[in-house]
Amino acid sequence: MPHLVLDRISIHYDGHPAVERASIDVAGDDFVVLVGRSGCGKTSLLNVAAGLVTPVRGTATINGRPISAPGSDRAVVFQNDALFPWLTARENVAFALRLRGIRPAERARRADELLALVKLADAGDKHIWELSGGMRQRVGLARALAAEPQFLLLDEPLGALDALTRERMQTTLLDLWTASHAGVLMVTHGIEEALVLATRIVVLAPGPGRVVRTFEPDFSRRYAAGEAIRAIKADPAFATARGELTDAIFEGEAA
Amino acid sequence: MTIFSYTERAGPRTEEGDGLSVPWSRPSPKRKGVSARMISAVTILVVLAAWALSARLQLVSPVFLPSPVAVWNKFIVVIGDGFVDATLLQHTVASLGRVFAALVAAILVGVPVGLAIGTSTVGRGIFDPLLEFLRPIPPLAYLPLVIIWFGIGEPSKILVIAIAMLAPVALSTASGVRSVSQERINAARSLGATRAQVVRHVILPSALPSILTGLRIALGAGWSTLVAAELVAATRGLGFMIQSAAQFLVTDVVIMGILVIAAIAFVLEFTIRRIERALVPWAGRE
Repeated sequence: MPHLVLDRISIHYDGHPAVERASIDVAGDDFVVLVGRSGCGKTSLLNVAAGLVTPVRGTATINGRPISAPGSDRAVVFQNDALFPWLTARENVAFALRLRGIRPAERARRADELLALVKLADAGDKHIWELSGGMRQRVGLARALAAEPQFLLLDEPLGALDALTRERMQTTLLDLWTASHAGVLMVTHGIEEALVLATRIVVLAPGPGRVVRTFEPDFSRRYAAGEAIRAIKADPAFATARGELTDAIFEGEAA
Repeated sequence: MTIFSYTERAGPRTEEGDGLSVPWSRPSPKRKGVSARMISAVTILVVLAAWALSARLQLVSPVFLPSPVAVWNKFIVVIGDGFVDATLLQHTVASLGRVFAALVAAILVGVPVGLAIGTSTVGRGIFDPLLEFLRPIPPLAYLPLVIIWFGIGEPSKILVIAIAMLAPVALSTASGVRSVSQERINAARSLGATRAQVVRHVILPSALPSILTGLRIALGAGWSTLVAAELVAATRGLGFMIQSAAQFLVTDVVIMGILVIAAIAFVLEFTIRRIERALVPWAGRE
């Protein structure tokens, strides 16, 4: 099974420590969520996994090979969609296939499948500026999946969306995670979001960023097994978990 | 310039109804009595009337200031019979040919140079000082040197215009390249793009609006350099036509030539704005 490992990673910016000896482990069927207060280095760690940031100490490996540059085995989705406005939605999704020299008819077919998967079957010919924020983020997810990555790296993918769209996108993310068989490493500010999505939550604390707690909620597995998302959120166990996670995040912070 | 861009923007865009223009953002020409476009039209009419009147009253000798009607008649005559062995169309084609040949040369050199400045420290180190040196020099200053080196043939004229165009093309390309969003580049790299693919598929299209702006500025600069380039041993061209007419004190041809140059500059500007809108419909909508 694919395996993404960040082992005792330290990151410095301009000589100042941003992250100190943080270890994170993502197996091929994990949905790992990084949470923590601002400045705890969540995004920096994600960027190490992406190959966009080089740590000063520690090793990042995928399937045992060191990570030194970005690669399509670890597709990234950013908070701001980073789509290409000169391409249609379909062409955006097909981008990774085009880079690989796959023929136009074949990549259009694959792109349409992926658009259908993110419930945008009719939007293939639309321009990016004609899409809403939620639709853009779906196109961004479909584009990342087109690369057939072993891991999806999501940097606050729902951060720019309104609350209702966010809620709906949570189940979309879970469906994609199940359908794509890719491991997920995601950064978020949303406590409830983390609980709904994660098979493992890694809590980081700032100054410098380090791992303080790990939770292993089972809510996303329950959703995958067929339970309704509303029922899960109404479960008293969910409220308890939310309280524990909130305490862990704000632990050590002066009141 | 500002008036032009205002009227141009307010006009066609709202007529197309591009889905972005909401009623309250639309400058409505009907609601108020006076629009900028009307004021501009009145201004032009007043200038024309003042010109006609001073010619009519013979405030200035007709040798120096022919009437608008005389200039118009000359325009018709030069279209049919020509001036100094070429019709107006032939003069215009000769001039446009030089400007477009120079534009092609400026694009072929300027866009790669701009890419080099925008994407690599080495490129910036090499080309930045050269361009900054070249940019402020008026074309008339390097014209003699170009003649000494390359003679008085057609290549010299094209070269002078191309040099005037090079800096705007290269610098606009470079600034477009530098403003490409890092997230977009990172997204492409994480989808498996090589460095060359990032340039081809992300940086170039992202910089396209800026490159087109550079071309528009370059066309303006090149067109103004035209007269200077055609001062030198040309036998055709609008600048040459004006220059010869001035030597024989044929003032109506001089004024007519100036107006034709202005009209063509206006058409070029308008056309390239059209092209910009067709090629980069996403500009300003992200």
